[in-house]
Amino acid sequence: MHDKTRRLPGEAAFSLALLVLSLWLTTIAFGISGFEALSAPGTFPLAVTAVMVITSGLIFWRTARLPAASHIRDWREILPLRVVGMALMIGLYAVALQPLGFLPTSFVFLTISIWLLGRTSPLYALGISVLSVAGIYIVFRLIFTVLMPEGVVPEREIIAWVQNLFSGSPK
Amino acid sequence: MMDSLHYFLISWFDLQLLGLIALGTFAGIYVGAIPGLSVTMAVSILISFTFTWDIYPALSLMVGIYMGGVYGGSRTAILLNIPGAPSAIATALDGYPLAQKGEAGEAIGISTVMSFVGGAIGIAVLAIAAPAVSEFALRFQPRDYMLLAILGILLVGSLSGESLMKGVFAGALGLLIGAVGLDPLTAQERFTFGIIDLWGGISFIAVMIGLFGISEALMQLHHIDKLAIKQAISRIIPSWGAVRKYLPLSLQTSAIGVFIGALPGTGGDIAALLAYDHAKRVTKNPEVPFGQGAREGLVAPESANNAAVGGAFIPMITLGIPGDAVTAIIIGAMFIHGLNPGPMLMIDRPEMFWFIVGALVLANFFMLLFGLTGIRLFVKIVELPRPVLIPLILLLSIVGAYAVTNSLMDVYWALGFGVFGYFLKLYGYQVGPVILGVILSRLIDENWRRAIISDREDLGRLLWGTLSSPLSAVLLASVILIFVSQTPVWGMAGRGWRRLWGRK
Repeated sequence: MHDKTRRLPGEAAFSLALLVLSLWLTTIAFGISGFEALSAPGTFPLAVTAVMVITSGLIFWRTARLPAASHIRDWREILPLRVVGMALMIGLYAVALQPLGFLPTSFVFLTISIWLLGRTSPLYALGISVLSVAGIYIVFRLIFTVLMPEGVVPEREIIAWVQNLFSGSPK
Repeated sequence: MMDSLHYFLISWFDLQLLGLIALGTFAGIYVGAIPGLSVTMAVSILISFTFTWDIYPALSLMVGIYMGGVYGGSRTAILLNIPGAPSAIATALDGYPLAQKGEAGEAIGISTVMSFVGGAIGIAVLAIAAPAVSEFALRFQPRDYMLLAILGILLVGSLSGESLMKGVFAGALGLLIGAVGLDPLTAQERFTFGIIDLWGGISFIAVMIGLFGISEALMQLHHIDKLAIKQAISRIIPSWGAVRKYLPLSLQTSAIGVFIGALPGTGGDIAALLAYDHAKRVTKNPEVPFGQGAREGLVAPESANNAAVGGAFIPMITLGIPGDAVTAIIIGAMFIHGLNPGPMLMIDRPEMFWFIVGALVLANFFMLLFGLTGIRLFVKIVELPRPVLIPLILLLSIVGAYAVTNSLMDVYWALGFGVFGYFLKLYGYQVGPVILGVILSRLIDENWRRAIISDREDLGRLLWGTLSSPLSAVLLASVILIFVSQTPVWGMAGRGWRRLWGRK
């Protein structure tokens, strides 16, 4: 997708941001142990950040001189609404994961995102996400025994209840 | 010898391990076949779920995914002209024209068999060469390790991306991320900003899931409306005559694959392109011209990219230096399981080496089996709609990042690196060098300090020591050569040389 002979919208700003970041990190690296000794804890970080400054500086210089990509005028081609939307959704999912638990958050996240991305009927999205969450839960939580946040759903009680049901020894 | 054979066969007679290798290979072919989903992505997400496991099952799954994934990329390259993985770019050049002629089944059949041949050769070389390399590596000085690691980052940075500068920047960024936390030698804080949570460093898994899982999924949102094209599949299993005809070329390009794979930092993608080039040069009179459906153009890259898998394990196991991004992730997993890849691994834990070799052989067989039998199923799976697939990948990425330490901190890091990785990819930076940098950061730092301390902090002595040792001198010369060859100085020197030559 990236054409190195043309500059995409935001590319110069991004390379400038990387240069500024590298410069800032260099000052922090210098603060670790300065030029105390070649084997000091700060020498390697200082060398690495120096390389970052040089390369990001050259990249910025080259990028700034490139002609702008004529075929891409709109920001939405670089950062489509669905990318921003999905990034926000996944951020919300991460925040809600621990307090609400894996099952309800994953279900809501999948239903909404499949519905919006696929422009399908809400019922289809609902069905697919129920199946997917169940599949992931069985494979990862029950078979691979990966710990997932429980949140508001009393999972352990439900699992114990199901196990009791199958073992036929209710207590 | 008997011990080695015993270790080699561990996974063959354990139903659980056998099942995991089969599952891994199947999942690898599936993930590899979906354009945009890379093997690296699959390994990085799945690895986080295997931390609580023993090392054997965890390695079984990863080895299977790696082997299957490198092969799986050829499917969509042939059927849709979209390489499922970078290692299948060369496969599309002649594979797709073959499919257009209605010979997709045959193309897939021959590429499967040749991938198997390549894979087998790669594993054989690994089994024979690794013990010898490992013994040789015991003589390596700290400066040699440092130079080898720098060479690896430079190679992956210069060969896989659009510019050396961007590759080097990405590699340096990775080295910096790897340096965050308490200094392992003096316990001094580095880039921790007084935050105690950062003392242990930034979780390597979080960086990996962010860069290979979340950012790739976000990038795929650009192509969400692309539809899969249905292809009729006819004959799959190639004739014996065809296999015999292309076997010599397959053997040659497998050798290229193993060699390129074994170089630190270079993997199947570069091996496949070089092999394609080799095939073009040695095939004098192809039945069909290259680029229009020459079978040689399919055999060469497919043999080479699978041969590179075995090759990539050589520096990983013997030196602790990853052959490519996937082996970088496997090294990370081995660290977490308390293993330390490097020359001592072969001496302390020979069973690990022979176990990996045995698992690779099994994965190669499973690849052949699934490749030749499950073709219709795979075509169906590739047609899975992206609006379903992408949210699922994002969800698994988050849960995977959480699963390692059950902390939200890692989830936020993964998210941060996911968004950052999106912009890096958008503007033509490679993320492979970042992950190599993270893995190699500690190795370079520690070996640099060991080297300079043993030379009493004297840079001149270190340089003299480097130049007077043949191995170190060759490594230093390679680092300089690779760097200079990517700069305008190289072009100018070349023009100057030609002018001078012309005058004489």
